Amino acid sequence: MSNLLPRHENQDAASLNRRSFLRTGLGGALFLGTVSVTASLSGCATAPADRLGAVETRMDASYRFRFLTADDIDLFEALLPAILGSALPAQPNARRMAIAGTVERIDAGIHQFGPANQKELRQLFDLLNFGLTRITIARVWSPWPQVSTEQANGFLERWRSSGIGLFNNGYMALTKISNVAFYGYQENWHLSGYPGPPDWAVQALPQFRTS
Amino acid sequence: MSLNDRIARGLESGWKVTDGATLTANHTAEADVVIVGTGAGGGTTAEILAKRGLSVILVEEGRLYYQKDFKMDELTSYANLYQEGMSRVTKDGAIAILQGRCVGGSTTVNWTSSFRTPDATLNYWGRQFGLEDLSPDAMAPWFAGREERHSMSPWDMAPNINNDILRQGCEKLGFSWQIIPRNVKGCWNLGYCGVGCPTNAKQGALLTTIPGALDHQTHMYHGLRADRLVMNQDRIESLQATAMASDGITPTSVQVTLKARHFVVAASAIGSPGLLLRSRLPDPYERVGKRSFIHPVNASVAKMPKLVDPFYGAPQSVYSDEFNFSSGVDGDVGYKLEVPPLHPAMSAGVVPGHGDAQVKNMASLPWMQSVIALLRDGFHADSPGGTVSLRDDGSPVLDYPVTDYLWQGLRRAFYTMAEIQFAAGAQRVRLMHLDSDWYSSWADAKAAIDALPMELHRVRLFTAHQMGGCGMGSDPKQSVVNSFGEHHHVSNLNIHDASIFPTSIGANPQLSVYALAARNSTRLAQRLRT
Ligand SMILES: Cc1cc2nc3c(=O)[nH]c(=O)nc-3n(C[C@H](O)[C@H](O)[C@H](O)COP(=O)(O)OP(=O)(O)OC[C@H]3O[C@@H](n4cnc5c(N)ncnc54)[C@H](O)[C@@H]3O)c2cc1C
Ligand code: SF4
Repeated sequence: MSNLLPRHENQDAASLNRRSFLRTGLGGALFLGTVSVTASLSGCATAPADRLGAVETRMDASYRFRFLTADDIDLFEALLPAILGSALPAQPNARRMAIAGTVERIDAGIHQFGPANQKELRQLFDLLNFGLTRITIARVWSPWPQVSTEQANGFLERWRSSGIGLFNNGYMALTKISNVAFYGYQENWHLSGYPGPPDWAVQALPQFRTS
Repeated sequence: MSLNDRIARGLESGWKVTDGATLTANHTAEADVVIVGTGAGGGTTAEILAKRGLSVILVEEGRLYYQKDFKMDELTSYANLYQEGMSRVTKDGAIAILQGRCVGGSTTVNWTSSFRTPDATLNYWGRQFGLEDLSPDAMAPWFAGREERHSMSPWDMAPNINNDILRQGCEKLGFSWQIIPRNVKGCWNLGYCGVGCPTNAKQGALLTTIPGALDHQTHMYHGLRADRLVMNQDRIESLQATAMASDGITPTSVQVTLKARHFVVAASAIGSPGLLLRSRLPDPYERVGKRSFIHPVNASVAKMPKLVDPFYGAPQSVYSDEFNFSSGVDGDVGYKLEVPPLHPAMSAGVVPGHGDAQVKNMASLPWMQSVIALLRDGFHADSPGGTVSLRDDGSPVLDYPVTDYLWQGLRRAFYTMAEIQFAAGAQRVRLMHLDSDWYSSWADAKAAIDALPMELHRVRLFTAHQMGGCGMGSDPKQSVVNSFGEHHHVSNLNIHDASIFPTSIGANPQLSVYALAARNSTRLAQRLRT
C-alpha cells in the first residue's frame, strides 16, 4: 500500500520486516524469530481496536483507534500509571479519563509516524504483549491488565538500566511517546508550569479569531 | 486574515497550487524544470528559475501549512510539519532526527539562526574535495544576496534568559560568545519558530522564495511524494510521484507523471539520496547515501535559581564558537554551543525519565535552562559519517555509527556545558544521559562525567541538521555532484540542498543551503536558457 519500490522487489518484505526488530536487536535468541507469527496465530489482537475494544474502558467511545490494538491499549493502561506517576489525577474518574485521553493521543501520534516506524512499534508491542516474550524478555509474569504499577515500574527500570541497547531503546520509545502525548497536551501544560502561548499574542493573531 | 497573509492572498489570486489529496485520477504534467522539495534549496531554485522565465513544477511530499494553521501548539505541529511525525530516528533508534516535512521544508520549523559557512569549512572543501571555486571570497556575494533575500541580521533585542545564561557562563569562564543573526522581519519575540511562526515574521522559504516562485507561474504540488526518477538512455525523462491522502501520510492510488527537460532534486539529506537510490540512477562508485552528516547534538539541562521561562522569546540568539575550531579544522572534533527552546512536549521528549522523578523534572521547566553542543562531523578520517539506505518499503533510513572520536567530543561537550551552566549560577545540572543524576556542583558533575558510559541510547543524541549523502567534489570517484550541484553521470539532473555538503558545515546550515542553491540555480538558468 505504501510501497515506493516496484512490486517484485518487495516480495516477503512485510514478513521479513515484522521480524527485523527481533533479529537485528536480539540476534542469538533463535526462538524469537517466530514471535510475531505465533502472536497473531495465538490470538494476540492484531487489528486496530477501532471503537469496539475501546468501549468498555474509554470515556470517549467516539474515538476511532487507527493503530493501537486492544492488547496495546491494555499495555499502555498498565504502563501509564508508572510512566506518569503522580502527574495523573488521584480521583478515579479523572484518572481514568486522563489515561484514556493519553492513550488516544498516543494512537493519533503513532498514526502520523507513518508506516516504517509503525512497523517497528508493532514489533515492540507484539513482543510485550505475547506471553512468552513478555515473560522471558520483559520479565513481566502476568498479563498487562493484572500488572501492578510497581511491577510496571520494575519493568521500566530494568529496561532503562539494562546493558542491552535494544532494551534502553524500548524504554525510551515507550516513555517518550507517553511523556510527549501527556505533557504536550494543553490540559497538562500546568504540570510543567507552562502558561501556554502568551495571551496578548493570541488576542492579536487572526488565526485565533473564531469568526 | 486573508488580506494580510502572503499565502492566503496568493491562493486567492490564483496561484497554481495543487493538493495531491484532491487528485482523483492519474495525470501527467510537463515543464522546463521539475524540482523535488520546497525547502531551503528547492524554494530558492524555483524562485530563481521562474524569475528567469523558465516554467517550473515544484513537488512537495508534505502539505501546505501557513499562518492559519500555526497556532503555537506542539503536538499538532510535530505531527504535521515534521518527518515521520517527529519520530524519525537513525536506523538503530539511538539518534532522534528533527527534520521538516511541509511546504518550506525544515525552514518552516527551524529556529532562524543564520550563519555563513565558516571560512575554515570552505577552505577545507577546497583542499580536500577540489572545490576551490567555493572559496570564502567567491561565496561572499552569494551569502550577502541571501542575507538580504531572507532579512538576516544579528538579533537586536535582548536575548531571552535561556540564551543569556549561555552568554553569562561564557563571560565568567572567558569563552567567546556572539549574537546570532536571524532571518526575521518584525519578529514578536514569541519563541514558537519550531512549530511554525504564527506571525509571519520568519523569513523562511514559505514566505520568501515559494511565494516568489508562485508569483512567476510556478505550479506547486503538495501532498505529492516523489517516488522515482525514470531514465531513458542517459537522461531523466520523468518523475513518478504518488499523491498522498489528506492526512499527509497515507498514499493514494493516484500516480502523477511529471516530465521536464531538467530535474532538480532538493529533498534534503536522507530524502535526496533516498530518491536517487530508489531511482537506481548511475552510481558507479557507490557514493550515493555515503558520508551523511548530522552535527550530532548532546545536551545538558540546568535548574536556575530564577525563572527562565525557556519557552518564551527568540529560541536562539547567543552562541559560542570557543570550541568549534579550537583544535584546527581537522583535529579533535569541534563543537558549537547553542541553546534550544524548551516547550513541554519537546522537554518531555528530550529529558529522559518516568514516574515521579519525571514529574519533578517537568515541574521545574520554568526554571530550566539548556545548552546544546553541535559537533562538527566529517572533517576527520575517524568521522566518516553515516549511510542512507532504503528500507523494505523504499523509504530512506540513516545508519549513523558514533565513532570513538565523536564520543570523545561528546564527553568534552558534556564538561563544557555543565561548567558553563554552573558558572552562570545553576543550582543543579543534569546531563541528558540515562545514568546522569542532578548534580549540585561543578566538581560533582565533573566527577560524574568522568564515569558516564558513552554509549548509544544511554547518551541522548539529536540532530536538526542533516547534511551530505550526495556529496559534491571534483572527483566522480569520491562524489555525486560537482560544485554546481550537477550530477556527475546524468546530464539533466542537479541537486540543490543540504545533501551535497561533503562534510558538515560547523554552523547551522540554512544559509549555506540558500547561498549554494542561489549560485547553482543562477548558473542552471543560464544553461537552460541558451
Ligand atoms: C527544528 C529545526 C531547527 C532548525 N534550526 C535551524 C536554524 O536555526 N538555523 C539553520 O541554519 N538551520 C536550522 N535547521 C536546519 C535547516 O532548516 C536545514 O538545514 C535546511 O532547511 C535544509 O534545507 P534543504 O533544502 O536541504 O531541506 P529542507 O528545507 O528540509 O527541504 C526538503 C523538503 O523536501 C521534501 N521531500 C523530501 N522527500 C521528498 C519526496 N520524496 N518527495 C517530495 N518532497 C520530498 C521534504 O518534505 C522537505 O519539505 C533546523 C532544522 C530543524 C528541523
Ligand atoms: S520568535 Fe519571531 S520568528 Fe520565531 S515564531 Fe516568534 S515571531 Fe515568529
